[in-house]
Amino acid sequence: MSIFILIPLLPLFASLAIGLGGRRCHEYGHRIGIPAISLSFGLSIWAFIEVLNNGPVSLDLYRLIESGSLVIDLNMYIDQLTVLLLLLVTGVSSVVHVYSSRYMIGDPHFNRFFAVIALFTASMLMLVMSNNLLMLLICWEVMGICSYLLISHSRQRPSACRAATKAFLVNAVADVGLSFGIILTFFTFGTLDIQVILSQAEGMQNHTVNVLGWIGLDLPIYPVPLIPFFLFIGAMGKSAQMPFHVWLPFAMEAPTPVSALIHAATMVNAGPFLLIRLSPLLVLSPYAMTFIAVIGGLTALFAAIVSLTQTDIKKILAYSTISQIGFMIMTCGLGAFVVAIFHLLAHGCYKAFFFLSTGNILQAVEPSHPHKHVAHQKSPGMLTLYVGALLLACIPPIILFSGPYEHMWSVTGFASAKLGFWIIGLITVFVTSAYLFRSIMSLFIHGPKTHWPNTGIHTLDNHTIQPQFINGPILSGLILTTIVLGGMLGLFWSWFTNFLTPALSLTGLPSQEGLLMMNFSTWILVPLAVACMGWAYAYKMHTQPRQPSPGVNRWTTSLYVLFWNKLYFDEIYDAYIVAPSLRFAHWLWQTIDVRGIDRAIHGIASSSLLLAHWLWRIVDIKGIDRIVIGIGQRSIGLGRWLSQMVDIRWLEQNINQVGKQADAAGQALQDVEPHTIQHQLLVMILWLVLATVILYILV
Amino acid sequence: MTLLTDHMISLVVAVPILGIIMLAFVRDQEWTRRIAFGSTMVELGLVIILCLRFDFTQQDMQFVERMAWMPTFNIQYAVGIDGISILMVLLTALLCPLAILCSWNSITTRVRAFMSLILLVESAMIVVFTALDLFLFFMLWELTMIPMYFMIILWGGPNRSAAGIKFVLYSLTGSLLLLVGILGLYLQGGHTYDLLALTEHTFSATTQFWLFISFFLAFAIKMPMVPFHTWLPDAHSEAPTAGSVILAGVLLKMGGYGFLRFCLPMFPEASAMFAPYILWLSVFAIVYGGYMALAQTDLKKLVAYSSVSHMGFVTLGIFVFNSQGIQGAILQMFNHGLTTGALFISIGQLYDRTHSRNIADYGGLHKPMPKFVALFFLFSVAAFGLPGTCNFIGEFLVLVGTSYTSFAMVLLSMGGIVLAAAYMLWMVQKVAMGEPNTKAAATLPDLSNRELATVIPLAILVLWIGLYPGPLMEMMDASVTNLVNHMDSITLAQVARNVYVP
Repeated sequence: MSIFILIPLLPLFASLAIGLGGRRCHEYGHRIGIPAISLSFGLSIWAFIEVLNNGPVSLDLYRLIESGSLVIDLNMYIDQLTVLLLLLVTGVSSVVHVYSSRYMIGDPHFNRFFAVIALFTASMLMLVMSNNLLMLLICWEVMGICSYLLISHSRQRPSACRAATKAFLVNAVADVGLSFGIILTFFTFGTLDIQVILSQAEGMQNHTVNVLGWIGLDLPIYPVPLIPFFLFIGAMGKSAQMPFHVWLPFAMEAPTPVSALIHAATMVNAGPFLLIRLSPLLVLSPYAMTFIAVIGGLTALFAAIVSLTQTDIKKILAYSTISQIGFMIMTCGLGAFVVAIFHLLAHGCYKAFFFLSTGNILQAVEPSHPHKHVAHQKSPGMLTLYVGALLLACIPPIILFSGPYEHMWSVTGFASAKLGFWIIGLITVFVTSAYLFRSIMSLFIHGPKTHWPNTGIHTLDNHTIQPQFINGPILSGLILTTIVLGGMLGLFWSWFTNFLTPALSLTGLPSQEGLLMMNFSTWILVPLAVACMGWAYAYKMHTQPRQPSPGVNRWTTSLYVLFWNKLYFDEIYDAYIVAPSLRFAHWLWQTIDVRGIDRAIHGIASSSLLLAHWLWRIVDIKGIDRIVIGIGQRSIGLGRWLSQMVDIRWLEQNINQVGKQADAAGQALQDVEPHTIQHQLLVMILWLVLATVILYILV
Repeated sequence: MTLLTDHMISLVVAVPILGIIMLAFVRDQEWTRRIAFGSTMVELGLVIILCLRFDFTQQDMQFVERMAWMPTFNIQYAVGIDGISILMVLLTALLCPLAILCSWNSITTRVRAFMSLILLVESAMIVVFTALDLFLFFMLWELTMIPMYFMIILWGGPNRSAAGIKFVLYSLTGSLLLLVGILGLYLQGGHTYDLLALTEHTFSATTQFWLFISFFLAFAIKMPMVPFHTWLPDAHSEAPTAGSVILAGVLLKMGGYGFLRFCLPMFPEASAMFAPYILWLSVFAIVYGGYMALAQTDLKKLVAYSSVSHMGFVTLGIFVFNSQGIQGAILQMFNHGLTTGALFISIGQLYDRTHSRNIADYGGLHKPMPKFVALFFLFSVAAFGLPGTCNFIGEFLVLVGTSYTSFAMVLLSMGGIVLAAAYMLWMVQKVAMGEPNTKAAATLPDLSNRELATVIPLAILVLWIGLYPGPLMEMMDASVTNLVNHMDSITLAQVARNVYVP
């Protein structure tokens, strides 16, 4: 079924066409982009049916590298996991395309925007289809550079450019882990073909590598359990997990549809996808699994609390994404990969929906009526936002209390883990629902507090040509899809699991129980109640104007400030990593290059000049000149003596002349010697050429 | 016809010389440029024909020509080409037309002399890359220095004479050591300058030790490796654009080529002995060059220091002695020629407009010059090895090759890549993003068609090699495999015996 290769190629070609067309296409970039991505979506559905009926499909592309034992064949592999993600990515991306075709009207870089989002989508599609770690890495990085281009979409805004650079650099640091993991994988398995690696992984578990062999020492390590650690570090960067999460809130500088794309369909989903794709390798390393679960859990909790304190709706949404992805990562760490996929798909749909409706509202609220809220109380977008918030708040609990977790808690072997994750889960549910509702309510009552660009597209003049947002049909379509999808997945949980099982090649998992077969009251009521409590809390906080109540002591205030400042991650990075590296670089340059090496070279040069000068004075002037003069004087004396004997006058004249000539020659020599090195070098080169010619003639 | 096909390489060498002769009869500046450009294009065509006729499956020298030159000293004119040198010749032929194109309007004084120097250096470099006789190699190695020196001191920036002297002093020191090495080889290797004969000759350990040192230092200065690199930023920043392109694009590669052609095959044991130190020095160069580039405020110096970092990858790849490493190193040399050449051309285009190389003088170029910024961005991301662009393939191969030696080196070198991403993106951010910082900046004209024609071929190559490096890899595969086998057969026992300091 080689036609499936068109799924990523269509957006890629669309991107090329729009990009190369440049300004010639005026504002018609979407007319190429939308059909391409819709066709991809259609093909993805076909692929889904194909995989459902006939199992995985693999496509060979071409041989990228062949060097000694390193042979890299690019090939694609479409299995159950891939088709689900293909559906999500193409689906969300087509919605985003359609939405942006209205949203971006009036933007001076309309076509560039469409070219980049098409490339972004294409690289994510390629990533989920790739069956080769190197190809995955390529797509991974291309996606990174696309996000860079999209975040810095308004190039004239310095903050946007800084955010873009920051996003890319944070990812670049994390990608060291991924690249190293890939090299370690090749070193261990001798191939980068994912299917081969996964099938060999179990057998290679006790394979050791002597890392100090080349210096004759003996330090064996087990590479197979180590690989997931490094690969996960890459995933941490892309999915904005704890130490690397700082880029995602800044990525909000991008136009809102891009946020929908980054948060829902591409980019951040790559991390969980990588973990799920390599799950058979992952489960071989319990320590890595624990590490992953802990990082995921911490991130989920941290980001949720931070978002509770934020006042900027886009920041809140960013931290909510970090928190949700943290959930997925934690789920992967616990081994419940099926749940993670489910969460990934559901979160993708809801988040896309949430962002697009936020974009709607922001655009409706912000430019023309910055402070009025009454007019927007009845905005149709408001209802959609409430629905989205409710849905978003309720996914994690439903997942958290579903069957597979129970199993995995017992698998990882920590008795406390179950309790711990329950608590984390419940806190996060509470907080999620609280901040979401708070943000929505404050949006309608106070207006958004996001930093919207004052320049460019959103000025009042341009606003008049902006269409009022009537993307209602799209949004309701999306919400219907998600509800239907969620309902289907909830109802047919076991079917979903069975569908995915071959792709994950899970072993040892018991038959997955459907959600409905679980204890109904527990799994739905507890989290729902918690979510409602969060809602109520948000409402209460909101309606009662905040007063300095006596109950709030200093400790809680400082805690609030701490989380409001996101635990000072950005400041710490700036102060302890970025600024010192720059200072160190400058110091190194000044100290070693300029003062060290260059001065040493200059020292050699000037000391040889000094030596030359000394030689000239000692040997030439004091030595040879004096001898010559001495000889001259002696000869004059001799002459005088002789002159008394012979013809004094005639001789005297002659000798004087000789002496003068010697003096003149000495003078000329003095003129020549201290000339610049330049001339000496030229003379040297000339000499070299002459010597060669003479050599040639002689021989 | 057979006369031509038998003397393919001599023809390739002769075309630029013929161009110089033709230039002697032309007075008109425009025609001077056209003739120079024409002869480099003919050269490129010939080299492409050469590549097409080249038999990739063979590991030996092809198109070999031999002629006695100075029979008394056993010196001959001998040239030939194999998988390693063909890429370097191709790179030379690719970059020289672009060097002429990019100096079309910027060089207005003594055009004839300038064009002649470019043609002369092109011809000399091709002989360096194809010479099979050490004496010939040395002569032309020296000859490449002279046109560069004149390009710097006659058409360079404000500090040109200091930079020129520094360049020549460093180079002369290097070539003196090279001369010593070559004479040593001649005396120890049976009184011949024939490269192939010397490669077959086995030298004693002490001889290898001393000769390796002298050759290594000569090539390390040319590369340049870290303690010997300070001539590079000065020479690059003061040279005219075409000079920087040729210097960074091709001349530096003579060092790497020298390692592959002399050090590895002739002194395998000494190479293996020195390898750990050289490898650590390379890793140091990668990180150190990155830090240096981070500290720069001058565009050309930034790119020059990034070259130091990239050349670290080349030596790293060469001295791990496996086919991934060496192929990666050769690819890295080729790719570095493309990307750094392109970056220098781009900076030259900026310099032509504003006469400033200071990063702080720029800002917000995306507005007046969108085409320029798009291409500049592509070359910048290629320079830090974004996957999908050409540098990535080379760096990845080198890192895979290094992983057989030491994981610590792999990790540290990756740190160098992160630094590269940092300085390149910061440069792009400061130069291209934001609001135009002066009124003049907002009215800069975008790239003209000729300027586009200079950089677009490079852009296409950067992406093409990044996504489909197969043909290039295939070209050098047989020769590299041969080299690796040669090394293995000699050094395996040796390496196993010795315990090295990490």
